Amino acid sequence: MKTETSSQIDINMKNKTSHSPWAIARRKFMKNKVAMISFVILMIIITLALLAPIIATSDITKINVLEASQPPSADHWLGTDKGGRDVFTLVLHGGRTSLMVGFMCTVFIMLIGTTLGLLAGFYGGWLDTFIMRIVDFVLILPFYVFVIALNGILVKNSVVGGVWLLIIVISALSWGGATRMVRSKVLAEKENEYIMAAKSIGNSSFKIMFKHLLPNVISIVIVQATLLFAGMIVAEAGLTFLGFGVPQSEPSWGNMLSSARQSDILQNKVWMWIPPAVLISVTILCINFIGEGLKDAFNPKSSK
Amino acid sequence: MNTTQQENLLEVNNLKTYYPIKGGILQRTVGHVKAVDDVSFEIKKGETLGLVGESGCGKSTTGRTILQLQNATEGEIIFNGEDISQLRGGKLRKIRRDFQMIFQDPYSSLNPKQMVGDIISEPVLNYERVNKKKLKEEMMDLLIKVGLPHDAYYKYPHEFSGGQRQRIGIARALALRPKLIIADEPVSALDVSVQSQVLNLLKELQEQFDLTYLFIAHDLSVVKHMSDRIGVMYLGGLVEIADKESMYEEPLHPYTQALISAIPEPDPRKKTERIILQGDVPSPANPPTGCPFHPRCAHAKPECKQKKPILKEVKSGHQVACHLY
Repeated sequence: MKTETSSQIDINMKNKTSHSPWAIARRKFMKNKVAMISFVILMIIITLALLAPIIATSDITKINVLEASQPPSADHWLGTDKGGRDVFTLVLHGGRTSLMVGFMCTVFIMLIGTTLGLLAGFYGGWLDTFIMRIVDFVLILPFYVFVIALNGILVKNSVVGGVWLLIIVISALSWGGATRMVRSKVLAEKENEYIMAAKSIGNSSFKIMFKHLLPNVISIVIVQATLLFAGMIVAEAGLTFLGFGVPQSEPSWGNMLSSARQSDILQNKVWMWIPPAVLISVTILCINFIGEGLKDAFNPKSSK
Repeated sequence: MNTTQQENLLEVNNLKTYYPIKGGILQRTVGHVKAVDDVSFEIKKGETLGLVGESGCGKSTTGRTILQLQNATEGEIIFNGEDISQLRGGKLRKIRRDFQMIFQDPYSSLNPKQMVGDIISEPVLNYERVNKKKLKEEMMDLLIKVGLPHDAYYKYPHEFSGGQRQRIGIARALALRPKLIIADEPVSALDVSVQSQVLNLLKELQEQFDLTYLFIAHDLSVVKHMSDRIGVMYLGGLVEIADKESMYEEPLHPYTQALISAIPEPDPRKKTERIILQGDVPSPANPPTGCPFHPRCAHAKPECKQKKPILKEVKSGHQVACHLY
């Protein structure tokens, strides 16, 4: 039966098509049309936003009263706002801010949530109790009230201001849910015998957590992060609309929407608020479809 | 086999593993589940000790406690003349390379996100600095030794069947060339046709690598096939331990007698007398006084309710914990 010997083995042979769980998930995702189209649209929006200074050459810092509140024209594709600034330029620059706030919040929240969730779930005991009680505390704080209050207090006495302060405040109040979710997944996953096997072959706790547990919980972290990204863009827009988010000086989708608080603009000058509103909706829709696609792709039981 | 002259590789003395039961608002310990209660045995170099008993009798916990995957409440675990039950941290990690475990469920004992090659070389990389290329060759060799094709190295666990996955688990346990392997029901999750293949592989490897096994199972015919000596556990305690022949020909403890009478007889003309046990296994959180088996024992005497019997040698190499002897 054993015809092969070590001398005959070509040790460098490798599968042409990888069957790693990651490769399978990637293939499944690529086959999902809705998710792929959403992904392409989102990439276009992100690229446009990132390239804003190159594409949109009109100066957004200059106010030109002579050109104020003009409807769309050949000069200004999407018209101008009350200060005479080009709406097309604004919407691209605003996308930079809005997407960055959403993205950075997501990164911070998932970093905190994954680390604390791993620690709480893996070690259990008093550390688990300690972390989860802090989580409970963070979760019961009414989000908008506290973001507004904290932002108001810190804006006067902190080194970082503006957008970054907002990112830090939002993140600091939103990591509870992520921690809870990662912890519950870790609790389920660590009952598997491969964790015990990892211990018995001489791995340190740190290595077990990051080499064995993390790769097996990361899929739900990624899915959750996508959905959170959408949520954070809405949070930024909502806060800014209320006047407590991104400072007025900085263009963002929320800031542009807040101009619609005046009924004249809302009813008669729709070009000022429809572009950011459409972009927010499309972005969130795309992100949610991508999230759904990822969820299916990571689920070994779905054949979609 | 001349195992009798050989020294003990592992000695377990009065091992106890209790799980605390927490209760009340303050989560105080209100009692203990005595999963392993005062178990002593020894395994000689090169032999296979089978450990049998029904579900929940503490055989798996015994195995895990010996590996220190579960802390012992009390007792000594002497491996190669050194008590390892108190070792922690780095020293424990160092000694772990000498004993490895084969797990019960081949579907959950392999990390689904790791390549098979990484799974089996990980133990080596944890302990040695080795040449990557040489290691890869060795690991492919090892895969062939456990009956898998060498290109399994590049595959992932989900691409294999249960029996093949168990072979991967065996390869991982062998990668460090351990002295003792604790096999925790290694075939109970496999179907019968695959069971015998894996069992024979384990036997072959034992000779090839000079291994000592602690073989945990609930299937008596499997244990008979594998073991040199057999220990029978009931409710956290060892009730009988003897050489295989002696155990199967003349079981002494009433519980062992009932177990052995339950082995199916392939010859339909042969009359067998089955001993049917009455009642259920009592809870290990609240074991009966005296002999833990007395509520179900047909030969129970008044003495059995009061005094817990201890293991004593009745015949040469045959120990039993029962007041009848």
